[in-house]
Amino acid sequence: MPFVKRDVTARPPAGGRPADDAVHADLAPHLTALGSPDIEVRWSAARALGGRTDAVPALTTALGVEQVARVREAIMTALMRVGDEASVVALLPYLRSQDAAERGASIEALQALPGAMLPFMAPLLADGDSDVRLLATELARNMPAEDATQLLCRLLEHEQHPNVCAAAIDVLAEVGTRDAVPALEACAERFAGTPFLPFAVSIAIARISDTDR
Amino acid sequence: MGTAGSEPRGPRGVRVTQEDVRRLCEFLYRRTGMLFDDNKRYYIDRRLVERIDATKSGSFPAYFALLRSDADHEIEQLINAFTVNETYFNREEHQLRCMTSDLLGNVIRGKRPGESIRIWSIPCSSGEEPYSIAIWLMENWRLVDSYNIEIVGSDIDTRALKAAGEGVYGARALMRLSRDVIGRYFQPVADGEHRIDPGLRESIQFTRANLIDSSEMARYRGFDIVFCRNVLIYFDDSSRRIAAENLYDCLAAGGYICLGHSETMSRISPLFRVCRFSDAIVYQRPESDHDGR
Repeated sequence: MPFVKRDVTARPPAGGRPADDAVHADLAPHLTALGSPDIEVRWSAARALGGRTDAVPALTTALGVEQVARVREAIMTALMRVGDEASVVALLPYLRSQDAAERGASIEALQALPGAMLPFMAPLLADGDSDVRLLATELARNMPAEDATQLLCRLLEHEQHPNVCAAAIDVLAEVGTRDAVPALEACAERFAGTPFLPFAVSIAIARISDTDR
Repeated sequence: MGTAGSEPRGPRGVRVTQEDVRRLCEFLYRRTGMLFDDNKRYYIDRRLVERIDATKSGSFPAYFALLRSDADHEIEQLINAFTVNETYFNREEHQLRCMTSDLLGNVIRGKRPGESIRIWSIPCSSGEEPYSIAIWLMENWRLVDSYNIEIVGSDIDTRALKAAGEGVYGARALMRLSRDVIGRYFQPVADGEHRIDPGLRESIQFTRANLIDSSEMARYRGFDIVFCRNVLIYFDDSSRRIAAENLYDCLAAGGYICLGHSETMSRISPLFRVCRFSDAIVYQRPESDHDGR
């Protein structure tokens, strides 16, 4: 047989790197490692700090200066694993990033935190930047149906940007309740001259009405 | 709009409409990457009604709320209802072909004869996949004797690992293997079952591992190829991100990961590079941070 068998479980983690197990590890070495010139050390440190509430300030600072995409990804995952309001505050600025990958990464991390995100949703949906409002509609998708419906209906009542309305309608078509129908109808009327919106509204209402019996 | 008259009803009289099914399919696609089109409508309806009945939800809206909250691991139950759970030898054979026709050629570029090649099957269930990898290499890779090949099978389920260690399989598990191959690598035992060759069985290490436990996964490093099929679809978004980062660390630089046919790593994590080979699409840990990013 050309196969060899070694005891995998006896193999120690790669030497010289911080251990991934953060639960019982000291915080200080990992915080120092976040500023290391070695990419692997920073990556391992970010991974080790996942879920540690006391590391959020350091992770926030590191995210602000980190240049390597892989390490940035690990820092965002670490913040997501904490999942409290402070980690949401750390991730929110990246919704405004000029880098699409960075916007995408922050959206994905924030989507995984629907409970912690909820208090931030109303201001986000009223943001002066239509791109931010549009991304915020996507954050509503993972929220409880009643919360998502209420938030997005409030947006639809005043929203002037057709693309933001379209994004909200798309989310409502999946998660909305029947309570969204009046706001959807009003939106279709307001944007009667933009044919794709009344069409999208008709599909959303069909789904909501048909489903929410 | 729904046309109630022709739609399946469960024992409790539950009905689902076309719009219910579309809503479900969009959710499933976003959540798992599984794509169902209208020509599978009847198949979907039946299983959906079964799950609504099984969970005593009473209606699609109540069931959909349950599903979205993932209470009682309903997503896992639903996915199980939609997928073939049984595993068998040489399942997704195209990936095994890809391993010998493309992946290993790239892996050995940085190795001398006699060095180790490390292959990991996670989750390995009752062992069909790691044994398939070993048999496939013996049968299809001419350089198989030139390297020390280490195959590890891991799973979170210790009962499955016990079965893997015993290596006894029924006819259905062996259905994709030729009679010749069965004759070479198995011995018949009672009731039409076959036991894997003891030498092969002893060549593979089976271990318990949890993909989303970073400390546990830290013991697994330096794999050249990882087969990680049909497990990420069960995870929620945050668990998938953690699993992807764990898998990244488990791979050697330039190592490959093979996922199930409905899974795409690019939906989960940007850490990996997509590699399209003639037999399969696989994902690669870049050689460096400047490679492919």
